[in-house]
Amino acid sequence: MVKLRARCLLLGDAAVGKSALSHIFYSDGTLFQKNYSMTTGVELLMKCVNIPETTDSVELYIIDTAGKETFVEACKKMWGEPSLLCLVFDLTSEQSFANCSRWMERVQPHCRGLHVPGVLVGNKSDLSARREVQASVASEWAQSQGLDYHETSAKELENCDAVLLSLARAFHSLYQERREAVQNLSPG
Amino acid sequence: MTDLSLSSLGAKVVLATSSDENHPAENIIDRNTKTYWMTTGMFPQEFIIRFSEPTQIATVTLDSYNVKHMKIEKNTSQSATQFEFVTEKEFESTEGHLQSNAISLNGCSATHLRFIITSGYDHFVSVHNVSMKN
Repeated sequence: MVKLRARCLLLGDAAVGKSALSHIFYSDGTLFQKNYSMTTGVELLMKCVNIPETTDSVELYIIDTAGKETFVEACKKMWGEPSLLCLVFDLTSEQSFANCSRWMERVQPHCRGLHVPGVLVGNKSDLSARREVQASVASEWAQSQGLDYHETSAKELENCDAVLLSLARAFHSLYQERREAVQNLSPG
Repeated sequence: MTDLSLSSLGAKVVLATSSDENHPAENIIDRNTKTYWMTTGMFPQEFIIRFSEPTQIATVTLDSYNVKHMKIEKNTSQSATQFEFVTEKEFESTEGHLQSNAISLNGCSATHLRFIITSGYDHFVSVHNVSMKN
């Protein structure tokens, strides 16, 4: 049995649903905040995820941070050194998807040259009539960035578990990989 | 300088901030570099070694992997509190083999030694052996 700990940075444009998702993660899919209140600083939520068919678990320290341009610079200081990335965009806003590459560039200096696994999340899948980003396009871009792709509806509480599990699994397999590498080291 | 036998000094690892039951913290002082303690995510990480009585230490040698910065603190009390700074060191990155770093503690006397890993070259680091000379 092992308990891993990961600092998971939640990134993406303002109003794509980062805080809505993080509260659903935290409340086990029971709480959707109906009223919008813009995140201007940084909020920390802890969520423990069990890895199926093992006794292992991952404690995710989810850093929900402002997406609004005005606040980003000030919040960057609190990003720290992430272990996982959760990049969110709004499926009904082409612009929020286009800005994802900018978010990836911004977070790079915080990753100390390490590979940081993560997911790309297309949120608001319930608004299908207003969809502007095709799943195939988003999924292809995610792959090019080494991210897993998921679509969610925070409002309908749809598929949010899959995102959490995907994050936890990514960190868990990274740990197993590294432990394997240590096992095969030659003596100094 | 002679090697201190940690087991005959009653040395124990009394605290470690990560726990993988397959790689317990006791592995740090078992004189075997094949067994190790592994950190399980985020920094800082630390472990504390307790001696049954105040012990003079000239140097401590750490065998590890992917540790970037190590800070060592000590105290001379019976409880693991109120530590004072002793020294710190930046470790070189080694790919494919263990890091081995000897750190001088200037013959200080301690009942607890606290090893704080403030950063690493990877998400996870491992400590394989700690040995001491007086």
